[in-house]
Amino acid sequence: MDIQKTVFDILQDLTGTDFTGSPDENLFETGTLDSMDTVQLLLALQDQLGITVPVSEFDRSEWETPAKIAAKAASLQ
Amino acid sequence: MQQTIIQAIDAIAMQEPDRPAIDVLGQVNTYGELKAASDAIAADLTVRPLAAKAPILVYCDQSFAAIAAFLGCVKAGHAYIPVDTHSPNDRLTMIEAIAEPALVIATAELPVALKTPTMTPAQLAATMADGAAAPVPTLEAGDNFYIIFTSGTTGQPKGVQISLANLQSFVDWMASFDLPEHARVLAQAPFSFDLSVMSLYPALTAGGCLKVLPKSTTADLRQLVLALPKLTVDVWVSTPSFIEMCLLDPTFDAAHHPELRQLYFCGEELTHKTAERLLDRFPAAEVFNTYGPTEATVAVTAVQISREILAQYPRLPIGYAKPDTTLRLIADTAQQEGDRVIGELAIAGPSVSKGYLNRPNKTAAVFTQDRGRQAYRTGDLGYIEDDGLIFYCGRTDFQIKLNGYRIELEEVNHFLNLAPMIRQGVAVPRYNREHKVSALLAYVVPTAADFDAKALTAAIHAHLQGVMMAYMIPSRFEFRDSLPLTQNGKVAIKALIQEVNA
Repeated sequence: MDIQKTVFDILQDLTGTDFTGSPDENLFETGTLDSMDTVQLLLALQDQLGITVPVSEFDRSEWETPAKIAAKAASLQ
Repeated sequence: MQQTIIQAIDAIAMQEPDRPAIDVLGQVNTYGELKAASDAIAADLTVRPLAAKAPILVYCDQSFAAIAAFLGCVKAGHAYIPVDTHSPNDRLTMIEAIAEPALVIATAELPVALKTPTMTPAQLAATMADGAAAPVPTLEAGDNFYIIFTSGTTGQPKGVQISLANLQSFVDWMASFDLPEHARVLAQAPFSFDLSVMSLYPALTAGGCLKVLPKSTTADLRQLVLALPKLTVDVWVSTPSFIEMCLLDPTFDAAHHPELRQLYFCGEELTHKTAERLLDRFPAAEVFNTYGPTEATVAVTAVQISREILAQYPRLPIGYAKPDTTLRLIADTAQQEGDRVIGELAIAGPSVSKGYLNRPNKTAAVFTQDRGRQAYRTGDLGYIEDDGLIFYCGRTDFQIKLNGYRIELEEVNHFLNLAPMIRQGVAVPRYNREHKVSALLAYVVPTAADFDAKALTAAIHAHLQGVMMAYMIPSRFEFRDSLPLTQNGKVAIKALIQEVNA
């Protein structure tokens, strides 16, 4: 499965925005993702890609753009 | 004779004073201490020159002192108005202006000066410790027990008046759910959100212990995940959104929390997916979906979500009406849609509020009598199956639920349009595949022709944080030269909703 596409689909379902053209947008700085959205994102990664993110080690800076999320998801799979 | 809520709590204090009542992250207070503190607060209140039955605003955190203050007010014959410490200052002063409370009790320092006489945290602590005996109770069945403010249109919150009889009807119904004896019950919702009442009185009237997870713990995912393994509760009460956060902890399951027996959800739609995840994690626990507006005292319908129900219904039912209450479709709203009749739900019964405090017009608009019983038009669309099982299908107006919070889009629009950097703005909900509002966006025409989108977003955010509740602030701003209009010149909100959700 294409992780990148899955991540972008999840983000689009969550935020209503297609980030294909702006993979480096900082989602936290722009207020696009709040803590509840982050939860939904991580749950969706769990469901759709079988990735369990160790939340206690969650470092925002590693998850702040669509591209970084996709890279992080790939590294955890 | 049946005991009232206060009598039931006090009876436990007299029989078993050392029984734990409230546990805030390991700091435990007993029923004996709760009775002594609330008695002393009530005694203090009765010697003050307060107008009879005038409400008391309790500015509160999630503490033992807050619960003692609530009970103290009621024992002295006054309703309490809980206002959480995380509310913006404007909301606090607006509630003060609408409610005209006789007194403010502050369990934490007030962030702004109020014109009402105030019992400071230090004075409250001294009063709680002075050991005075409680006055003779004067609260009657129809008198207000608490008043909870919900969001209102054009920024004016509405105070829902819940009487002793309203609350008694709710608590009696909850007692029929066979809570485990002396249950440890999760208390996570702030006290200004009426979901907290689902923990508070069912637990305290049954000799249970409230396990408080304060906002300082739940607001930060990492803190929450650290606190969760140490949490032992028999009964879970929260919004679906909150337990979704908890599900991120892979050890949040029956193997690590074998004591967890019942889970109650209210405050927003429980999605099929979340319920399925829960039954996978806690196969032997009972999961209940419940529904109710603040105006009908926390919840009026419930159903246990079993594997069979999951298999049968892609969108989960909200349950059957409690036995003393009737839900029906308002006749002139009912419409045939496929093989169902969908209409606006009205609730009639003893837990329906008498109305909004000091707002007769708003009250008259949604509260009526139905065959001699108090009734409330919910603004919620639903349908009812032949056996009485009820389903929710959305709103009749532009009110949404986001993460358990009720938000009126008009109210968000009101604040957007007051912001100096916005010429015109409108809030638009984004729905996910589970029909749930996943985000609130805003379409904005900026005042300035030339702007940097990022800087403007930050400026709008900073401005809105000062005037509205954090949960109401749109998470994303789309900047436009103009907004689409309807034929009569209003912003075409439905068109924007379609655009966002296309």
